Amino acid sequence: MSPNILEVTGLEKHFGGVHVTCNINFTMQEGEQAAIIGPNGAGKSTFMNLLTGYHRPDAGKVMFAGREITGLPPHRVVRRGISRAFQVSSIFARMTVRENVRAAVQAQMRATFRLFASGHSLGAEETERVLAMCGLAGKRDLVAGELAQGDKKRLELAIALAGKPRLLFLDEPTAGMSIDEARSTMELVDRLNRELTLTVLFTEHDMGIVFNHARRLTLLHRGEIILEGTPGEVRADATAQKIYLGEHHL
Amino acid sequence: MTANAKRTGPLSRLYAKFGISGPVTPVLLAAAIGVPWLPGEFWTHVGTEVLILGLFAMSFNLLYGYMGQISFGHAAFFGVGAYATAMLFTALKGADGQIGVADFLLSLLVGPPVAALTALFVGFFCVRLTGIYFAILTLAFGELLFYIVFSWYSFTKGDDGIQGLLPPPFFQDSTNFYFFTLAIVVVAAAAMWRITESPFGYAMRTLRDNQRRAAFLGTNVRAHMLANFVIAGAFAGVAGALWGPFSRSVNPTLLGWGESGIAVFMTLIGGAGSFIGPMLGSVIYTMLQAVVKMYTVYWPLTIGTIILLIVLFAPGGILGMIDKRVQATRARDGAAEAEAAAAARAEAPRP
Amino acid sequence: MDIAPYALQLFSGLSRAMVLFLLSAGLSLIFGVMNILNFAHATLWLLSGYVTFSIFTFLGQQFGASPWMLVPAIAGAVAVMALVGFALERFLIRHTYDRELPEQLLLTFALVLILGDVIKLIWGLENRRINLGVRPIEMLDTLVNPYQFVIIGTGVAVAVGLWLFLHRTRLGKIVRAAVYSRSMVSALGIPIPKIYALVFALGVGLAALAGGVFLPLLPMALGVDLDIIVQCFAVVVIGGFGSMLGTFVASIIVGVVYSFSILFWPDGALAMIFLIVIAVLIVRPWGLFGTELRY
Repeated sequence: MSPNILEVTGLEKHFGGVHVTCNINFTMQEGEQAAIIGPNGAGKSTFMNLLTGYHRPDAGKVMFAGREITGLPPHRVVRRGISRAFQVSSIFARMTVRENVRAAVQAQMRATFRLFASGHSLGAEETERVLAMCGLAGKRDLVAGELAQGDKKRLELAIALAGKPRLLFLDEPTAGMSIDEARSTMELVDRLNRELTLTVLFTEHDMGIVFNHARRLTLLHRGEIILEGTPGEVRADATAQKIYLGEHHL
Repeated sequence: MTANAKRTGPLSRLYAKFGISGPVTPVLLAAAIGVPWLPGEFWTHVGTEVLILGLFAMSFNLLYGYMGQISFGHAAFFGVGAYATAMLFTALKGADGQIGVADFLLSLLVGPPVAALTALFVGFFCVRLTGIYFAILTLAFGELLFYIVFSWYSFTKGDDGIQGLLPPPFFQDSTNFYFFTLAIVVVAAAAMWRITESPFGYAMRTLRDNQRRAAFLGTNVRAHMLANFVIAGAFAGVAGALWGPFSRSVNPTLLGWGESGIAVFMTLIGGAGSFIGPMLGSVIYTMLQAVVKMYTVYWPLTIGTIILLIVLFAPGGILGMIDKRVQATRARDGAAEAEAAAAARAEAPRP
Repeated sequence: MDIAPYALQLFSGLSRAMVLFLLSAGLSLIFGVMNILNFAHATLWLLSGYVTFSIFTFLGQQFGASPWMLVPAIAGAVAVMALVGFALERFLIRHTYDRELPEQLLLTFALVLILGDVIKLIWGLENRRINLGVRPIEMLDTLVNPYQFVIIGTGVAVAVGLWLFLHRTRLGKIVRAAVYSRSMVSALGIPIPKIYALVFALGVGLAALAGGVFLPLLPMALGVDLDIIVQCFAVVVIGGFGSMLGTFVASIIVGVVYSFSILFWPDGALAMIFLIVIAVLIVRPWGLFGTELRY
C-alpha cells in the first residue's frame, strides 16, 4: 500500500474555453505539511476545489488514503476524512460561534438526522475542546456574522478541525489576520500536524509564513506545476522569481 | 439596579433561555385557553381557525425560517391531508351522515401520513434545486396537484368539493372542538420544537446560512432537505386533517397558491426568525381579515399593502421588531452597567 | 385528415405564444439583469390592457370609432406603463436589491394583490374587450381571425427589434453584459441603478405592448393575470433566464402545447405546461438556452 495519503494524477479542468488546471500530478505523504504558492489566478483555489469535490475534474484521478475520490461530491469527500477551510471565511453567519462549531461536531458524529436528541448537549464537550484549541472559548456566544475578520478565519479553522480530518486544506489561512493572530494560528497548525499526524496543505501569499511553516513548496502558474521543492530550493530558483515578478510567460 | 431586576423575572429567564418565543408562547397559550370564555360562539370558531392555520404556517416556517427556502406550494400538503381525511371520513360515516368517535379519529390519523408521502414524492424533485428554482418548482407542483384534484371528479368530486363532514355530536360543540384542536396543536408544536432544537434542527440552520459550507461539514444537503420537506409536509397534513371537520367540507382551493400564500403571509407578519412567530401571525392575520372583510371587499389591497410595508420596514415581522428592541435595550443597559462598574472600580481604594 | 382544427389551434397557439413572448421577454430580462422575479409582471400586463381599453374608447369617442385607434391607444398605454414601471422600480423595488430572495419575491407578490385591487377600484369587475370588427378570412378550409397574424407579426418584429437592440447597440450590449456580471459593468463606470431603471421600464413597456395587442383577441378580466404569470414562469424556466432566444423558443413551445392541449384535455392544458416545467427543472434547471448553473 502506498505511503502517500494523497495522490493526484493528470488533473485537468476547463471552464468554458479556459484551461484552469493542466495535467497536474501531485502527491502528499501522511503527516506532511506543504504549501502551494503562485501568483493570483494561478489556480490554487481551483485545485483545492477539484480535490474536495466542489468542481468535477474533466480528466485525472484523485486518490485519498488508497481509495479513489475523483468526482465525489463534497460531503462524501469530507466523510472520508478531508476537511477544508475557505479563503473567504465561509461560516454560518446567523448562528453563534459555539453553534457553528457544534454543528460541525454533530455532523462529524453523524448525528444530524437525530430529530429528538438535544441539539444543545450532543457534542458539547468536543465543541468546547475545539473552541478552546482555537482560542474562541471567550467568544462562544457571539453571533458569527459579527466577528472581526481574524476571528472569522479562526472560526473557519475551528469548523474544519471539528471534522476530525486526516487531511486538512487551508486556503490562505492567515489572510486578514494581524501578525500575532497569524503566528498563533500557524503555531496551532504546526502543533496539530505534529501531535495528531494531521496532513496539511495550505495556500498562502505571505512568503514569511510559507517559509516558516511549510516543509515542501509547490509553485503553480496558469494551472500548471512549475516547480516543487523545499522552501530554500524554491526561493533560490530563477524561474520562481520571474513568475512572481511577472516576467515569466509560458 | 432596575436592569438587574428585569433580567431575573420569569419572562426574562424564558427570553434568555429560548429567545423571543420563550415569553410570548405562554402568553399566547394563556390567551388561547381563555378564548372560549368570550361571549358567543364566534370567537371560539375564529380561535379554532387561528390554531389550525397557525399550525400550517409553523410547518411552512420549518422550510423558510429554519432552512431558508421559500415554498409557494406548501398548501398542497395541507390540502392533501384535508382530502385524505375527508375521503376516509366519507367512507366511514353512516348513511345518515353520522360518524362514530373512533371512525372520526381514524379519519384524522390518515391525513398526515398521506401528506407526508406526497411531500416525499414532490420533495424528491424539489430539493435538487434551491432559491428561485425551488420556489418556482414548488409552485408548479402545488398547482399541478390542485389541477389533479380539481379535474379528477370521479375521485375527488372536483370543484364541488367534499361536503357533509359532520363530526360526532361531542365534537359538534364548538368549545369541545376548540379544546380538541388546541390539544392537538400543542402536541404538534411541542414535537416541532423538539425537532428544531435537535441536531437535525441545527443542521437545517446550517443549510439556511451557508449551504456550501454545510456540504463541507459532511452533511448530505439533499437528504436533509428532503427529510425536512417531508416533516413540514406531515405537520401541514395534521393541520389539513383538522380543517375538514372544522369547516365541514373541503374544496380544491385548499391546495392552491392562494392558500400557500396565507402561510407565507402569517409567517412574515409574525416573524420567520422565531418559533412561535407564525402562530402569532395567524392570530393577527385571521383577526385582521375578519375585521377588514366586514367593511370592504378590498382585502387583497389591504394585505398586499401590509406585506409591502413589512418587507420594506420590518422584514423580521412583529416578533423580529420586538426582539431587536429588547436586544438594543439590553445592550444599552449592559453598556451602562459596564460603565458604572468601571467607574466604581476607578473610585475604589487600591490595595 | 381534417386539418382545419389543427390549423386553427396552430394559429391560435402561435398568437398566444407571441403574447407570452412579449411578456416573458420582459420578465426574463428583469430577472437576468436585476435578479428580481417580478411576480407582478402579468398584473402590469392586465393593467395596461385596461389602460389601452380606456384610451381606445376615449379616442373613439373623440375622433370616431375605428380599429386604427388601437395603434395610438397601445402607444399611449406603453408610455403610461413605462412610467408606472419606472416609478415602481425607483420607489419600491430599489429597496430590495440588497435583500434576500424571499423578501424580493414577497414584495412583487404583494404588488400583485395591490395592483389587482387597483384595477378593480378603477374599472370595476367587468371584463374589457375590444371588438375591432374584423371579418374572419378563409384559410385552409376554415375561418381564421386575421388579427392573429397581426399579433404574430408584432411578436416577430419585437423579437427582431429586441435582438438588434441587445446585439447591435451599445446600450443593449451593456444590458447583456449586466446579465453575466453586474460587478464588471459597474467596475467599468456604468451606473448600475440607471441600467436597472431602464431594464425594468423596458420590461414593463414590453408587457404593456403585450397587453394592448392582446385586447382585441380575448377579454381582459380580473384573475387572468394569475393564469398568465404562471405560464410566463414556465416560459422563462424552459427557455432559460436572461436568454432572449430561449424565451422566444419556449414561448412557442408553451403557446402551441397549451393550444393543442385544449383539443385533447381542456382542463389540463395548464397541467401539461407544469409537467414540462417540472421536467425541465429536473433535467436541465437552467433551461434550454440559459447559462449553466455552476456546481
